[in-house]
Amino acid sequence: MKLSLNWLKDYIDPELSTDELIERLTMAGLEIEAVETVDGDTVLEIEITPNRPDCLNTLGLAREIGAITGKAVKNPIVKNHKTSVLKNFVTIENKKDCSRYLATLIRHVAIKDAPKEIKQHLNSLGINVINNAVDITNFVLMETGQPLHAFDYDKLVGGKIVVRRAREGESLVTLDGIERKLNPSILVIADVEKPVAIAGIMGGKATEITAGTKNILLESAHFEMGIIRRACRSLGLRSDSSYRFERNVNFEGVLTGANRATDLLLELTGGQLSGRAEVAVKSKNRAAKVKVKVADIESLLGVAVTPVKAKAWLARLGFKVTASGGVLTVTPPLRRADIQQDVDVIEEIARMIGFDHLPSKMPTIKAINIAVDKRPREIKDKVRKVLSAAGVDEIITHNMISTKMLVKSNMADLKAIRIYNPLNQDQELMRPSMLPSMLQAAVTNINRGQKDLRFFEIGKRYFLDGEKETVGILLTGRRSQDWRFSKKDTVDIFDLKGIVERIFISIGVSPAYESNSFAVLDPGCATSIKLNGIYLGSLGKVDGKILSNWGIKNQDIYFAGIHLDEIYPLPGMTLKYQSISEFPTITRDVSLAVKKEILYQKIEEICQQQGGDILKSVKFIEQYLGDKIQAGHKGLVFSCQYQSNSRTLREDEVSTVHERILQSLTKDLGAILR
Amino acid sequence: MQWNFQEIHQYAQAEAQSIDSAQALEAFRLKYLGKKGLVADVFASLPTAQAVDKAAIGKGANDLRNFVEKLIAEKLGSLSAVKTAGEKVDVSLPGTGDAIGHTHLLTQTMQEIIAVFEQMGFVTIETPEIETEFHNFTGLNIPIDHPSRDAFDTFYLDAEDPSARGRRLLLRSHTSPGQVRIMKEHQPPMAVIVPGRVYRPDAVDASHSFMFHQVEGLLVDEKVQFSELKGLLTEFCRRFFGPKVIMRFRPHFFPFTEPSAEVDINAEILGIQRKKWLEILGCGMVNPKVFEGVGYPKNKYKGFAFGMGVERMAMLKYGINDIRLFYENDVRFLKQF
Repeated sequence: MKLSLNWLKDYIDPELSTDELIERLTMAGLEIEAVETVDGDTVLEIEITPNRPDCLNTLGLAREIGAITGKAVKNPIVKNHKTSVLKNFVTIENKKDCSRYLATLIRHVAIKDAPKEIKQHLNSLGINVINNAVDITNFVLMETGQPLHAFDYDKLVGGKIVVRRAREGESLVTLDGIERKLNPSILVIADVEKPVAIAGIMGGKATEITAGTKNILLESAHFEMGIIRRACRSLGLRSDSSYRFERNVNFEGVLTGANRATDLLLELTGGQLSGRAEVAVKSKNRAAKVKVKVADIESLLGVAVTPVKAKAWLARLGFKVTASGGVLTVTPPLRRADIQQDVDVIEEIARMIGFDHLPSKMPTIKAINIAVDKRPREIKDKVRKVLSAAGVDEIITHNMISTKMLVKSNMADLKAIRIYNPLNQDQELMRPSMLPSMLQAAVTNINRGQKDLRFFEIGKRYFLDGEKETVGILLTGRRSQDWRFSKKDTVDIFDLKGIVERIFISIGVSPAYESNSFAVLDPGCATSIKLNGIYLGSLGKVDGKILSNWGIKNQDIYFAGIHLDEIYPLPGMTLKYQSISEFPTITRDVSLAVKKEILYQKIEEICQQQGGDILKSVKFIEQYLGDKIQAGHKGLVFSCQYQSNSRTLREDEVSTVHERILQSLTKDLGAILR
Repeated sequence: MQWNFQEIHQYAQAEAQSIDSAQALEAFRLKYLGKKGLVADVFASLPTAQAVDKAAIGKGANDLRNFVEKLIAEKLGSLSAVKTAGEKVDVSLPGTGDAIGHTHLLTQTMQEIIAVFEQMGFVTIETPEIETEFHNFTGLNIPIDHPSRDAFDTFYLDAEDPSARGRRLLLRSHTSPGQVRIMKEHQPPMAVIVPGRVYRPDAVDASHSFMFHQVEGLLVDEKVQFSELKGLLTEFCRRFFGPKVIMRFRPHFFPFTEPSAEVDINAEILGIQRKKWLEILGCGMVNPKVFEGVGYPKNKYKGFAFGMGVERMAMLKYGINDIRLFYENDVRFLKQF
């Protein structure tokens, strides 16, 4: 809402500098968003909150400034026009849509320019000056907050007004020259034939006031806020009038506004008042009384207020107050429909005191009776710690993605929740996977020449049965920035698996890794992460075709997804001290060749089976895939550690067990010792 | 047997001077201090020595041992100095090892905000992002077709709300529906914060994003005053922005609080010049209609609630001028924090 300080002076002199006025208004809840100078006038742009439609006009702001400063407000003098009643002139189809309609007929007008003062005021507020009749309706709107419309009466077919819903297929060219398609959700003002205005929003071109207009029909009405709001949305059309109707106009203002405009029209167009018609619902003009206990003021604000003081502050706002037995009975003015409960009145008192003058103290926070499951937070903290130590940077990506991103990631089959009113196609789905948005982040960096990336995101995937918290990890580029190592040494699946393993160790869960195939991962380099049949996630090398879909060239990307929601309910490990053996460890290295398809995991299992209670651990040392080994085989080197907690082991008993392991490996797996 | 300690000392010293390797030094040590070395011989002669000489021999042996130890120590120092000089490295080369990963600035800011409130006794609860109209609007006294909804423009989903036929599920437009959920499930007293992502269909520019983060706070008890809301948030701002922070509480309107306020902080302490005051959060006393909506007995409880944007807090504190930087994830941004 714009406030012209020159115009304001017609109603009040706040006796404050502009800066002081800005400060006082802001601290009373009318925040000044901008200050501009228009032809020597200072204009304030004020943010009016939706509960204060009464401040959407100059007079309303003058009253508020009066309340803040204690200065008197000069109201314009408005005559109550007595004239003949026009019978059967206005019909309202449904009074829920329009609770009051007042039509005033003024004949023999002369349309010309409005006086300089009116034009200047409108100009300050950025409103186009048109002619005396239209300028008057705008002037009264900005003065009193009552939207008005002037029709060229002679162009209304049948000379009558019907307030009704638009019919299917009807349309109207509005004042801005655009043809608007209408439908029954939209309220219109019609003559006996067709719509002539979209109620509360904009008049029609055909019935506008022109230089040739002789007779004016002035509309002052009260439309239901919801219907205007919906019509604005569906038409994509807003105006100074609709802005006020959406926020509700004062039922009483319909008459005041009509009278004020009639006064000015008669004076400035030389017209004659010819008659008036009014249709309205009854009983809209009773203000609700609100009871406020004086003690409640203190218990809510923390400051004691006497009834006398409270009364004085409320009186400045135009509230009528009676006090008795520690209870205030408050009658707000009709324009203050926002005052409904005691707390609304208490807020007004607080506003008058000034929020900054209210006391300030720390609250007592009692022992909380809400028990919170700490495990999710602990797990997430641990995950962050491990990833941070592994040099992985946290990213936060958009969780709204496009269908295209899903298709590019070979995930077209995934059922993603669709957004009904997306901003655009780039954000039409709630992601069912972390991969697409994380690839997007990788591409952004790669395109900027930043190719060595270690990213993780803790975010959600969205499904109709819920939101699933997930960790996504993405690695690509050089393994290490260490200058002593080769620049050609890039990350591989073991870097990623190592990080994932450390995550699970830190949260006390030991899952199994099984090679598996996934739509997004290279089938030769992918593993699922499972614990007792529960699927906890997967990791591997992102399929080459997906990378080329994303335009990623010359570098591999490794990706892991860990489903946190599946991990939260798992019991964590309880740590207990294990005694450290004081007896020596005997280590035996094993080097063997096995067929390529045999998993190292299998070898470790056999060692564990055959190793009895003296085999403490098996440690992998290296894998050899070169040509110094028979075709279809790989070389594996590992060591077996033997140790007892109760005695020093003898060489011969270690040899017996070790021999048993080697035999089993050769017999069961066809291993060849090297 | 007689020992000429003076002569032995001189001899040992001369011998030590000619030592030029670790091996020679070890041989020297064994010769004097070893199990069969000279010092051991001197001690071994004690039992057969004249009674009058015993004290002198004992002292002489100890002195000799100390003297040789000193010689060895000196020699050891000069020998190793010679050794390192031969393998001098360019210590000006950079140290190695990979940097630790960076926590995203929004996570850090969120954690910082949460930590302040948890230190004061609040507990943290996360509630869903996919919400119902009841939790996001109706339960918060925001009627359908009311202009107060404008501030909370909303993304709807292509999915029906199982609890309200014909109504769509939506993405929460603020963290306040967390208040409704928590109050529906729990009885006061309570002091909770609800952090999380929120969504509004705003066109993206330097200060708008269709997805951002908020932290909501709610305290409910039988006696709660506006002065306590002021006290708590003043303390929060001091801890978050520093003890010099200057703030003001300005009346505002939220359908779910009454009275409602916005909090501004003075821009000067953050070195921002374009504006004098910067809005940082909204707050107020819980509207009795909200308590009614969650089924609390009438007039029994009072409370306050507040909400702040995490991006905004981070932008103000760290001087970031474009909200898009947070979601673009350029490593040159990520690695700054």
